[in-house]
Amino acid sequence: MKILHVYRHEPADFTKKLVEIVSEGRETESFNLYEDNPDYDKLVDMILEADQTICWW
Amino acid sequence: MANSLGIFVTNPDNWEHVKGVVKAAKNKGLKVKVFFSWTGTHLAKKPDFKDLCELADDVSICADSYKKVGYDVEDVPAGLTPEKMATQAQHGAIVEEYDKYLTL
Amino acid sequence: MSKKVCFMIPNKDYALDGMRSTLGLSVENHYSYCVVLNAELDEFDDYNKENLEWIRDMEGEVYSNVEANCQKNDLKPITIEELGQKLREMDIIVPYGTY
Repeated sequence: MKILHVYRHEPADFTKKLVEIVSEGRETESFNLYEDNPDYDKLVDMILEADQTICWW
Repeated sequence: MANSLGIFVTNPDNWEHVKGVVKAAKNKGLKVKVFFSWTGTHLAKKPDFKDLCELADDVSICADSYKKVGYDVEDVPAGLTPEKMATQAQHGAIVEEYDKYLTL
Repeated sequence: MSKKVCFMIPNKDYALDGMRSTLGLSVENHYSYCVVLNAELDEFDDYNKENLEWIRDMEGEVYSNVEANCQKNDLKPITIEELGQKLREMDIIVPYGTY
C-alpha cells in the first residue's frame, strides 16, 4: 500500500507521531503544500499514483 | 487507471490550493467533484468561485453549513444552482463514487 | 460498498460540525468515526447528544484524547498511539478544518 502524506503546514508533533504509525511498513511519499508556489500538477500525479492520500492540517 | 478526484473542503484558507488542484486535475482529463462544508462555504463568496464551478464537473456546498456561518440559503452563490445547495450526502457521493480523495 | 472513514478534528470551533459530517457518512452506510484532538468542548446540547447517539447506532464512534470530553460528553477515550493504529484500518482519513 502506497500512502501520500500532504502537509498544509509544518506538521505538529502529534501529526508526526500519527504519520509515523500510519506509515510503518508501508511505502510513503510526501508533498509540502505550505511551500511557495506548490506544483499542483506534480501533486495530482502523486495522488493518482498513491493508494491513499492524507492531507494533514 | 484512476479517472476521478473528489475534494472535500473544510478550511477557508485553502482556496488557492483548491483552484490549483482542480485546474491540474482537469488538465489531466480527470472528472472532478468539489464539496464545501462548514467554514469552507465562505469560499462560495470568492469572486472567482464561479470560475471554479465552470472548471470542475460538479461543485456543491453544504446548505446547513452556509446558513450556520451566517449566509441566507436563498442567496445562491454565482455558479451554483439551488440543487447544489446540498447536504452531507454530497460527501458520501465523493467517498463512494470517486477513485481518489483529497481533503483541503 | 461501505468504507471506513475517520475524521480528526483538533479545534473546538470545528468539532461539532465535524461530528455532523461524521453522521452524514454514517447515514450513507459508511463506517464513520470522529476523533476530537487536543481541544476541550463544552457540554453537548440535545442536538449534539442526539448526533452522537445516531453515530453509535450506526456502528460509528466519537473518540477524544482529552479526558474532559470523555467525562462531560461521554466520548470514548483514545490515545494518539491508539488512533495511529486505528487510522491504519481506514479507507479514508479526513484531517478536518484546521488547528
